[in-house]
Amino acid sequence: MLWLDGLMQGVLLGGLYAQYALGMALMFGVMRIVNLTHGDLVVLLALIAISLSAQLGVGPWTVLVLLVPLAAAMGWVLQRSVLNRVVGEDPLPSLIATFGLSVALQNAMLQIWSADTRSLPGGGIEQISWQVGPLFVGVLPVIVLGAALVLTAGLAWLMARTRFGRALRASAADVEAAAMVGTNPRTVYALATALAVAILGFAAVFQGLRSTVAPADGAAQLIFAFEAVIIGGMGSVWGAFWGAMVLGISQSIGYRIDPGFGTLAGHIVFLIVLALRPQGIFGRK
Amino acid sequence: MADTPSPPAPPRISVRTQTLSGRLALAIGAGLIVTLLSLPFWASQGTIRSVVELCCYIAIAQMWNLLAGYAGLVSVGQQAFSGVAAYLTFVLAQNFGINPFVAIVCSLAAPALLAVPVYALLHRLDGPYFAIGTWVVAEVVRLIFTNLSYVNSGAGMSLRVMTQYTALERNIAICILCALMLVATVGGSYLLLRSRYGLALTAMRDNPVSAASQGVNVGRLRFLIFVAAAVGTGLAGAIYFSSQLRITPSAAFSPEWASIAIFIVMIGGIGTIEGVLVGALIYYFAHQWFGAYGASYLIVLGILTMVVALYLRGGLWGFFSRFVEIPWFPTRRKLEPRP
Repeated sequence: MLWLDGLMQGVLLGGLYAQYALGMALMFGVMRIVNLTHGDLVVLLALIAISLSAQLGVGPWTVLVLLVPLAAAMGWVLQRSVLNRVVGEDPLPSLIATFGLSVALQNAMLQIWSADTRSLPGGGIEQISWQVGPLFVGVLPVIVLGAALVLTAGLAWLMARTRFGRALRASAADVEAAAMVGTNPRTVYALATALAVAILGFAAVFQGLRSTVAPADGAAQLIFAFEAVIIGGMGSVWGAFWGAMVLGISQSIGYRIDPGFGTLAGHIVFLIVLALRPQGIFGRK
Repeated sequence: MADTPSPPAPPRISVRTQTLSGRLALAIGAGLIVTLLSLPFWASQGTIRSVVELCCYIAIAQMWNLLAGYAGLVSVGQQAFSGVAAYLTFVLAQNFGINPFVAIVCSLAAPALLAVPVYALLHRLDGPYFAIGTWVVAEVVRLIFTNLSYVNSGAGMSLRVMTQYTALERNIAICILCALMLVATVGGSYLLLRSRYGLALTAMRDNPVSAASQGVNVGRLRFLIFVAAAVGTGLAGAIYFSSQLRITPSAAFSPEWASIAIFIVMIGGIGTIEGVLVGALIYYFAHQWFGAYGASYLIVLGILTMVVALYLRGGLWGFFSRFVEIPWFPTRRKLEPRP
């Protein structure tokens, strides 16, 4: 029963990780860059959400409606002002620029919000649970998982079926050829990052509701997103989702073996996947 | 250049690699190493401690420079290597009774042995993903040490065996080790860059694909640089924590080590040894003067790093070299007509 509970909690935890991972898979797939501020953006958005909720006295769903457009705008600005200058073959400039920005962001958040851990009040929803047989399932984690499914399916549909998705895939395949047939790479990139950070807006609200956030938490979230993307298989939207599931389950089972082993179990599964199946569990060679 | 194209006469040229500024810098460098060795006899404990710290910064930054600036391997997890070497030093000295200064040298086996499987796993990852992969490895090592009761888990260890030596003896040994570390990391990199391998490395830095087509074994060279950088970083970690006399997993495997290397190399100038020295001095003094401002100081440092990556890729040394050419460590080969 302990293990069944671990498995189920892992799937639910994976729902949150999937929301971190989707944006990273999208940005890497389209631009071949990794944004090291990925986790810090989740934390920043979550802290903004907490402050918004306290200032305006509104519930978490109103905050979500306000936060997602704000997140998209942040992504757009980030791409236009910083990332567009460092997209290219050489991975160094993008890594260093986002690394510097990450250090600056973390410390700026420390100045504004202090090092305290905070969480977003959910008006009671975080305590409700359903009893399924002998297990208790939290309502909020199920909503998070549902949101992750909808976001993943939505993003996959967008990539496969829309004009914007075609432009994204074309730019990912060959940016110069895509420019020749009429896409503007800079606009496509800015839209991709806006979309990726908008998804992080969802992740931020759910993170704030499910647990706590503090300015230094971003590094762990960046690593979890990255592990999910690699486990699932690079560049694929559903791969990121399934990778997040594997990561969530590994951590959850690990915590039940030994509380000090949870995060480590996730890392170890990641390294095993990397050793045995470097293209990811669901990736094609 | 030969004037007559045929019959082929041996070209009357010679390759010059040393310059006046290079010779001067070598002399000054030798002087500084001697000064470092003489420190225990006249400097205060505080000064020695700061100088040891500066030496460790230089070594770690130069190793990162070799990795990122020449081999194209951007790592944010070098703390894994400095941490394991430092821990092995403590274990050998404290639990096995080996002379702590001998232990520092023996401990270099740990980063070398760790680097081999790490590279084997991570070299499959694409550029930016390699970087985060190294970070995951460092996190794994940190978590293992945090849970390992043999090394006293998260509470860390103290180097109590050091009490059998006087302060002077300790300082002499640490200063000798620092001098050796600088000679090995900075001097070794310089010799490497002036050798045949240096040509291969420079070619690889500029374009790995065309370097491979010219016969450079890019994969092997990357692997060797990765292991060498792990050992150099390990030495710095072992010396640093031995002089601090105390180690904890959170300090030994702190991502701050990677941050320091990145700040120093990027602000000083990537791909040059001079840049590392300039960057290390800037970082050192900035830390001394503004470190007390904590978060605001780090905001400025972070933004500065971003600005350098966006607008000034060569760092301060690269900017300076646009106007004047006085290399301290000349690695450029110049063809000159022979009289």
